[in-house]
Amino acid sequence: MSREHRLELAFLGLHPARTASLVERHGSAGAVVRLARRGRLEGVDPGRVRGAADCRGALERAGCRAVFDGEPGYPAVLGDLGDPPDVLFVRGVLPETPGVAVVGTRRCTGYGRRLAAACGRAIAAAGWPLVSGLARGIDGAAHRGTIEACGVGVVVLGSGSDVVYPAEHRDLHDALLATGGGVITEYPPGTRPNGWRFPPRNRIISGLSAAVVVVEAAVTGGALVTAMRAGEQGRVLFAVPGDVDREASVGCNLLIRDGAIPVLGADDLVEGLSLVLGPPLRTIRQEVVADAPDGVDRAVLAAARQPVAPDDLAAALGLPVPTVLAAVARLELGGRLSADEGLLLARDRPPPSSVSPAGGVPGR
Amino acid sequence: MFASVTSAALVGVRPRPVRVEAHAGEIATDRLTFNIVGLPDASIREARQRVQSAIIATGHRFPSRRITVNLAPADLPKAGSAYDLPIALGVLAAFGVMPMASTEVIALGELALDGSVRAVRGGLAAGIVAGRRGLPCIVGSDGLAEAALSGADVRGVTSLAHAIAVCTGRDPGELPSGDAVAVDPPLQVDLAAIRGQATARRAIEVAAAGGHHLLLAGPPGAGKTMLARAMPGILPDLTPSEALEVAQAHAAGGRPPVVGKRPPFRSPHHSATPAAILGGGSGVPVPGELTLADRGVLFLDELAEFPTHLLDTLRQPIEEGWVHIARKGISVDFPCRIQLVAATNPCPCGYLGDLRVPCRCSPHSVDRYRTRLSGPLLDRFDLRVTVPRVGAAQLLGLGGEPSAVVRSRVATARGLQHHRGTLNRSLGREALDGLPWASNVGRLLATAMDRLGLTARGWDRVRRTARTIADLQGAAVASGDHVEEALALRGAL
Repeated sequence: MSREHRLELAFLGLHPARTASLVERHGSAGAVVRLARRGRLEGVDPGRVRGAADCRGALERAGCRAVFDGEPGYPAVLGDLGDPPDVLFVRGVLPETPGVAVVGTRRCTGYGRRLAAACGRAIAAAGWPLVSGLARGIDGAAHRGTIEACGVGVVVLGSGSDVVYPAEHRDLHDALLATGGGVITEYPPGTRPNGWRFPPRNRIISGLSAAVVVVEAAVTGGALVTAMRAGEQGRVLFAVPGDVDREASVGCNLLIRDGAIPVLGADDLVEGLSLVLGPPLRTIRQEVVADAPDGVDRAVLAAARQPVAPDDLAAALGLPVPTVLAAVARLELGGRLSADEGLLLARDRPPPSSVSPAGGVPGR
Repeated sequence: MFASVTSAALVGVRPRPVRVEAHAGEIATDRLTFNIVGLPDASIREARQRVQSAIIATGHRFPSRRITVNLAPADLPKAGSAYDLPIALGVLAAFGVMPMASTEVIALGELALDGSVRAVRGGLAAGIVAGRRGLPCIVGSDGLAEAALSGADVRGVTSLAHAIAVCTGRDPGELPSGDAVAVDPPLQVDLAAIRGQATARRAIEVAAAGGHHLLLAGPPGAGKTMLARAMPGILPDLTPSEALEVAQAHAAGGRPPVVGKRPPFRSPHHSATPAAILGGGSGVPVPGELTLADRGVLFLDELAEFPTHLLDTLRQPIEEGWVHIARKGISVDFPCRIQLVAATNPCPCGYLGDLRVPCRCSPHSVDRYRTRLSGPLLDRFDLRVTVPRVGAAQLLGLGGEPSAVVRSRVATARGLQHHRGTLNRSLGREALDGLPWASNVGRLLATAMDRLGLTARGWDRVRRTARTIADLQGAAVASGDHVEEALALRGAL
């Protein structure tokens, strides 16, 4: 099969399963493309079958390159898939080592978003590529965590590489490319994000990864299907446990019951992942803040290990509200505390030297 | 013969004298000709029938003459039945039934066909005009209390005959009773009744002290509305002249005016029309909710439910303190020096960020909900705080400080601003630059711009709030602590 024909076939943008069965039936990519040119393929307009040169031009305009199965640069881990994509369209970096996939529902809770970001930061800090889908919710949160920790993020799209969906993640997409990540798809440039393109896309996400972390998944939904297929592909499954009566956590809890490894925190995840992927490629970088926080700030940080409202913080510490609010702003400016939807949360575990263990809340 | 009586009209919320001139031809004609000129509306033209019947019912003749009534100034559109009484008095004087000197009064009232006088709105305006001219003011006795708020010499009358007797000095008319001046309506909500909500309490105190607009975000049932209703209770008392302005605005809106010391509190529903909120209507413009809340609090509950175009039209009036309304032949300025308090859910279902109840909104619908709020209006809120749901422990606990205690602190802080010449809410960039700041404030704000994405406008907002926090503490120089608290209070959304 010539590369030209394979490229032309990929540019038809058919469902990957249909492409595979057509090639099997007719013998080669070239044969299928010829059929398409003669108008013999249902749903394919013969006038829109593009020649190889035309395809190369489109790739250049979209700023991406084609990587063919079986050639150098094609990720070996994808060989585990029964139906690996014949051609991958890549922008940025296509990591050769297996990464870690973080997947979950688009309709996540604040808990899910927080955990996804924490997992993203931990995976990135350990130096493993993080693979996800750029969707709203868990995907986006995990990738934002990657960027915060200066890691390598890999996005697998369900559309052409010049079509960023959802549009509000354009900045995230650009940031990932700018920080040494990659954007991968098996669909040619210009492909719209039709709903049916996402399930085949999900096999690439798990395919590129040695382990799959499910942060939040309902019983119905793509995240759980991805996880189960990943299990069938021999990927190690991790799942973040959640409240048993919360819809968005039911899928994860089911996975844990069926043998997935529960994630008990970011550090726990890194420990578990290092059994699969080997020791972290980078040493975990603890951000040490130059000036250790003083009494009030320290107390606020210690009390904000769990998400907490400023009111409850003031009540728990017995401090006046203005004092607590000033401390909150100070810590937020120092990057040690985040305020999201009115809840405060200390970021990362503070260096052991500066804060006593949980429970030992110092006075003012 | 020619005679004139003065009455009053409201232009916007300002009372203006209207001279009712009546001329009766000397020669009897075959047919009665009765014309009213001077931009009358349909209800004033109907006055001809009412006035004629009332004069006859009172026992006077109505001869067939050419009668012309002019309402001056002639270019001001006039509306309503309030000119019946002055027209009747003027016509009677023109007939020679009453002496000319007896029409030196300000009169206002609608006539019934049997000659009785009904009170109309505008009594307060008539009283104010009368007070300025030093003339007695004659109104329907039902409207006596309203007109008496002006402090002028007001007399209530029950019929046209009664009015003639008052004008000619044969009867003193009804005098206002001593307790006619309205008392304060009870405080809407006292802060003492609010449990928990320490941050939000602090925010409304700061907002009240600096006149800052305040946005409360939180799940349903958190107490946002209650907090907003507590706001008028911690604002300083109105001065007597401010209170009269407030009463005038209410009278102009056709509502019973109340002269009290408490600033008004208005909370229009999100389905209200633009005219109901901004003012307007056909013919003579009437004030809307913005003006009824003048010198007080305008509360917009469920801010995201208000139509975007309406919120956009609010921006300029809120900034300038005036709503300008132009209609054919008349344009008025309604005052709206309001403090805006708005409440919103963090997302359509209301539970985003709640620790106990999961949010059921899709991220997309949250984004859409937020975009409706975002933009220039949101920038007007110096303070944005999250109001969490209150737990059982706090509900069982004690309430907080009563409103009166907070009000005294607010009054002190406002006193300091009064000395500087302007409320902190209205401090512009140059004025802010001219205030004393501690040396570390610049670095703090620069860090905030860098790390929290603070905008240039946000920079000013934080400084305004910080100045108010310093005023509450009585500090001459705004310090880093003040700026840090202001940063934390600018947070939600």
